[in-house]
Amino acid sequence: MFAASVASQAATDLGRRWTIGMSQCNLGEPWRVQMNADLQRAAAVHPELKLVFKDAQNDTLRQRAQIEEFINSGIDLLIVSPKEAAPLTPPVADAFKRGIPVIVLDRRVLGTSFTQFIGADNRRIGRAAGEWIVRRLASNPRVQAGGKAHVVELKGLMTSTPGQDRSAGFREAIKGQPVEIVFEADMKWLEPEARKEMESALAVHRDIDLVYAHNDPGAHGAYLAARAGGHAKDILFVGIDALPHEGQAYVMQGLLAATFEYPTGGVEAINSALRILHGEKVPKELSLPSRVFTRENLERGGEQLP
Amino acid sequence: MKPPGWLSVPWMRAFLALLLVLAVGAVWHADGAFFRWNTHRDMLRQVAVPGILACGMTLVIITGGIDLAVGSILGLCAVTFALLTIHCGWPAIVALPAVVLLGAAGGATSGTLVGRLRVQPFIATLALMVFARGLAKFIAGGQKISAAVLKPDGTFAYVALPPVFQHLDARLFGGNVAAVTLVFLGCVAVSWVVLTQLRYGRYLFATGGNEEAARYSGVPVTHARLLAYGLSGAFAAVAGICQAVQEQQGDPEAGVAYELTAIAIAVIGGNSLAGGRGAIGFTLLGALTIGYLEKILSINAVAQSSRLMLTGVIIVAAVLLQRRQLN
Repeated sequence: MFAASVASQAATDLGRRWTIGMSQCNLGEPWRVQMNADLQRAAAVHPELKLVFKDAQNDTLRQRAQIEEFINSGIDLLIVSPKEAAPLTPPVADAFKRGIPVIVLDRRVLGTSFTQFIGADNRRIGRAAGEWIVRRLASNPRVQAGGKAHVVELKGLMTSTPGQDRSAGFREAIKGQPVEIVFEADMKWLEPEARKEMESALAVHRDIDLVYAHNDPGAHGAYLAARAGGHAKDILFVGIDALPHEGQAYVMQGLLAATFEYPTGGVEAINSALRILHGEKVPKELSLPSRVFTRENLERGGEQLP
Repeated sequence: MKPPGWLSVPWMRAFLALLLVLAVGAVWHADGAFFRWNTHRDMLRQVAVPGILACGMTLVIITGGIDLAVGSILGLCAVTFALLTIHCGWPAIVALPAVVLLGAAGGATSGTLVGRLRVQPFIATLALMVFARGLAKFIAGGQKISAAVLKPDGTFAYVALPPVFQHLDARLFGGNVAAVTLVFLGCVAVSWVVLTQLRYGRYLFATGGNEEAARYSGVPVTHARLLAYGLSGAFAAVAGICQAVQEQQGDPEAGVAYELTAIAIAVIGGNSLAGGRGAIGFTLLGALTIGYLEKILSINAVAQSSRLMLTGVIIVAAVLLQRRQLN
């Protein structure tokens, strides 16, 4: 009640002031920190917007409560990046039914009770990574001799959909191509785990051509393992996410051959929010394009993927 | 069933668990990878960080306590070390002792809560675990502290990593031993001196064995606890530095759940959670057992689900082996 009256007072005070509530599922991940930073930066140039952040700390029930708090405080628009689909569908639908426009970011909710879903397609990014890797390895001596190039796949948590999709898309792309996965392991998105698994891969296989890791810290951990063994020069490392201070930095330092952007959608969400608040209609789905960053195109801001 | 005579020596039992795991490796050797020194060198590097935590854990367990805060203190110290050396440009010679002192101060806080204010070790260190993790995230601003430095305009500047990161992550003796492995052995040596050569070591055992009796016979129980938790915090700081140099960054999420690995290492070697009994040698054997187990599962590329189940089974088997009576 109190929060609602404060919010409405703020609205009358400043004329065209809208309050947007942003429910983030877990700020423990750098990628999500980046998402919030992107939202904040995009909103900062619009003085009519006020952005309120809540962090559910990877707790579904806490996120549910935070969405309910937003509804009760009378926000004008809800942006939510839900931790899980099923348990967070009811509170999101509740907000939508009360007339609060809802933008769902990155992970989905069930049904259609939201205004717009903005997200990138992990499977497509995995496929793009696979296609890039096939092209890059075409000049590999083993491939030239009619054999197959040896690839290590360091997978993200395989009980999570991003991990499954990044693996599935990659495998679709290399099917029938002269690329063989000689070692695969679940590194649970964690750099120290990736380093351990890569050391094991190097202990078993002497002739690894490329490491495909489902995130950049994983690729970096693999690089560190290979460098310690003196193999870093012979192996290419490919990661996903392309955060400016992680993947892009590693590409710039020449550690990774490529990183594939997994866009946060922060800027797009603010653009959509403004359109919705101005009464425009927006499409129900907004699929985010991805970019690949290599040493050659980093200066130009990467290259758009099809 | 009465065990054969040689099994009544605790050392032999701890050794048996390690031999059992080594035998598994000899059978499933992943195309001979298990028989190459590199595999063993890498295992010794990997086990260094949890092993260092286990040294401190052993001291605390001997006093009859438990230290759940070591993983968080590791994260806090990794972040602080990265911040001081990379962003603030402190020389390593100043940053290293400063971070170890920070860890010791964290541990001493637990020690004071447990020793002087009579808070149960589980509760006191649980509180510190939560607090230290929060502090680590606060200091780091939610981001990893790396060579990419955020500028006010939202872009990143890239600075060079200080040489201490190279030196501590190096391999020595012709590339055959990781530097962090030597740090681990140094921590084992310090713990050995404390437990066996110093009077305070006997106080730790007396405190954990029978606190009342120890108090009546003039043992400074409160100080003994302060020492155990303080050293545990200092070891956690050393582990945090080792973690940071290996990751080349300070990750505020580093060390989550490492306290459980440290406890497993201490217990699997034969230290008693009841307190009053134990030795740092057990911890060393426990570290090797856990380290080899992980390495063998990893070189054979065993799926995560099977890994977790196998680890659970083998921990139980190893602990059952430790029992005095196999009845």
